[in-house]
Amino acid sequence: MIDNSDAYRQKRRFGMAVMILLLVFAALPTVWVLILSLRQPFAIFEPIWESPLALTLENFFKITRSDFPRALLNSFATAGLSTAFAMLVGVPAGFALAKARLAGKFMASWVLLLLRMAPPVGFVIPLFLAYVNAGLIDTYTGLVFAYMTLTLPLVVWSMWNSFAQVPDELIEAAIMDDASLAQAFFLVALPAARPGAVAAAILAFLVAWNDFFYALIITRSDTATAPVAVMNFISYDSVDWASIAVASIALTLPILPLMAIANRYIVQSLSGAVKG
Amino acid sequence: MGNTLAARRGATYELQQGYRLMMLPAVLAVVLFAIVPLAGMFALAFSDYHLIRGTNWEFGWRNFVRMLSDKRLMNSVYVMAALSVFGVIAQVLIGSAVAVGLQKITGRWRVGRVLFLLPYAVPHVAVALIWLSLFTPTLSPINAFFDLFGVTVPAFLTSQWGAIFAIVVADTWTNFPFAMLIIMAALQGISPDLEEAAAIDGATRVRTFIHITLPLLTPALLMITLFRFIDSLKHFPMIFVMTKGGPGRSTQATNYYAYVQTFQNSNVAYGAAIAVMLFLTAALISYHVAKLNQRVTT
Repeated sequence: MIDNSDAYRQKRRFGMAVMILLLVFAALPTVWVLILSLRQPFAIFEPIWESPLALTLENFFKITRSDFPRALLNSFATAGLSTAFAMLVGVPAGFALAKARLAGKFMASWVLLLLRMAPPVGFVIPLFLAYVNAGLIDTYTGLVFAYMTLTLPLVVWSMWNSFAQVPDELIEAAIMDDASLAQAFFLVALPAARPGAVAAAILAFLVAWNDFFYALIITRSDTATAPVAVMNFISYDSVDWASIAVASIALTLPILPLMAIANRYIVQSLSGAVKG
Repeated sequence: MGNTLAARRGATYELQQGYRLMMLPAVLAVVLFAIVPLAGMFALAFSDYHLIRGTNWEFGWRNFVRMLSDKRLMNSVYVMAALSVFGVIAQVLIGSAVAVGLQKITGRWRVGRVLFLLPYAVPHVAVALIWLSLFTPTLSPINAFFDLFGVTVPAFLTSQWGAIFAIVVADTWTNFPFAMLIIMAALQGISPDLEEAAAIDGATRVRTFIHITLPLLTPALLMITLFRFIDSLKHFPMIFVMTKGGPGRSTQATNYYAYVQTFQNSNVAYGAAIAVMLFLTAALISYHVAKLNQRVTT
C-alpha cells in the first residue's frame, strides 16, 4: 500500500526529524566524552568549534601515571573472582532446582528474585559492621564476598531457567544408561545449557563491574575499584574533567564486547519472564 | 519384581539426594552472604546502634515510630516517586519512539541501532559523570551552543526541579535502550496481519494503535515499569555523583537517605530501619513477579 499523499510525506518528514533528534540525544554524550578526553588542558572550557584542533593524547598517558590503572585491575579481579565463585556454586544449584523433585521451589524463586531486587543498602550496613570487626574493610576477600550477594542469585536464577529448557528426557535417558548424576550433569546437561551459562557469567561479571555502592562503603585506597577511584578526580576546589572522560571510556570499553554477546540474551530472559 | 521396584525406589532416592547435594553449597552461600546480613539488618533496625556512641542493647520499635513523623523520610519517598514516575514515562516514550523508528529502517542503516544501544552499556558512575559535565554550565557544549544564539541555558543542578530533571535525563539516557529492546521484542511478536485486518475493516491508525497494538504491548510496558520501579528503589550512583542529594534535600531519594543516616549521621539503627522498609517493598513486588513467573512456567 503505497501512499504518496502530501499528508503522508509530511508525517514521514516529522518521523525523520524525531528520529534525528533522538539520535542526537543518544549519541551526543558519547561524542562529547570522546572530545573531552582528547582536549588539551587549556582548551577544556572552550567550545570545540572555537579551537577544534586543540587535541592531544596526553590525557590518556597522564591517567596511566595515576592510581586509576590499579583500580581497573581491582575491578577486573574482584568482578572476575566473584563471578567464578558464583558460577562454581550456582550452576549445579540451578541444575538441581530445574530437575529435582523438590518442595518449596516457589519459595526458592521468590528468595532469588528478592535478593536481586532488594536495595543493597540493607546488605551493606550489617556487612560494614561485620567487616570493621573482622578486619575485612579494604580487602579483596571482603569485596569478593560482598559481590557474591549480587552475582550468586543472578547465576542461580538464570541457570535455573537455562536448565529448565534442557528436556528432562535427556537427563533421564542418561541416568537409565547407568550414568551417575554427576556424569549426566557434566556430559549431558551442561553442554546443552552452555550458551545460558556464558550469558549468566557475563551478566554476573557486569553487575559486579558496574557496582559503585558496595565498593564505596567497604573499600579504601588499596582495593578501590574503578567506579570508586574515578571520584578521586573530583576534589573540593577543582575537577579534572579530562581524566574523568578518559576514565569513563576505560570503564566502558572492556565491557562492550560482553554486552554485545549478552544483549540478545538479556531481552530473551527478561521478556521470557513475562511472556513465557 | 518387588526387588527391582525397591531398587528403583532406592535409585530415585539416591538421585534426589544427589540433587540436594548439588544445591548445598549454593544454599550455604546464600545463607552466609545474604540471609545472615539480612537478619543483621532486621536486628539493627530494632536496636539503638550508633556508629560512634555504640549501643545500650535496647531493642524496640522506636526507629519505626520515628519514621512515621520524619519529614525528611516523607520527602525522600516523594523524590523517589518523582524520579521513578518521570523516568519510566520518559524511557517508555523514547524507547517506543526509537523502537518504532528503527523498525522502519532497513538495509545498511540498520547498523545505526548500535548508536541507540551504546548508552545501555555505560556503567552508571560514568553516566553520572558524563551528564554532570553536560550540566556544568561553564563546561557544557550544550550551553556553549545555545550561547551562540544568545540563549542562556539555566543551571539545572542548582534548582530543586532542575536537579530532579537532570537525574531523570541521565537515568533516561542510559535506560531507554532497555525499554527499546523490550518493546522491539514485543512488536516483533505482533502479527502485521492484525493491523492490516483492522485497516481493512476501516479502523483509523489511532484506533488500530489503541485497540490492537497497545493491548498487545501491555505486558511489555508493565514489565518495563516494574523493573524501572525496582531499580528506583536502589537509586544511588547518579544522586551521589551529580547532586549529593541536593540542592538542599531535593534529590535525596529514600535509598540515598538511608545511606546518609547510616554513614554520614552515624545513625546505623535508623538507617537500617529505612532499609527494612525498602526491603519489604521489594519483597512485595518480587512476590508478585515470582507468582507471575510460576504461572508462566508451570
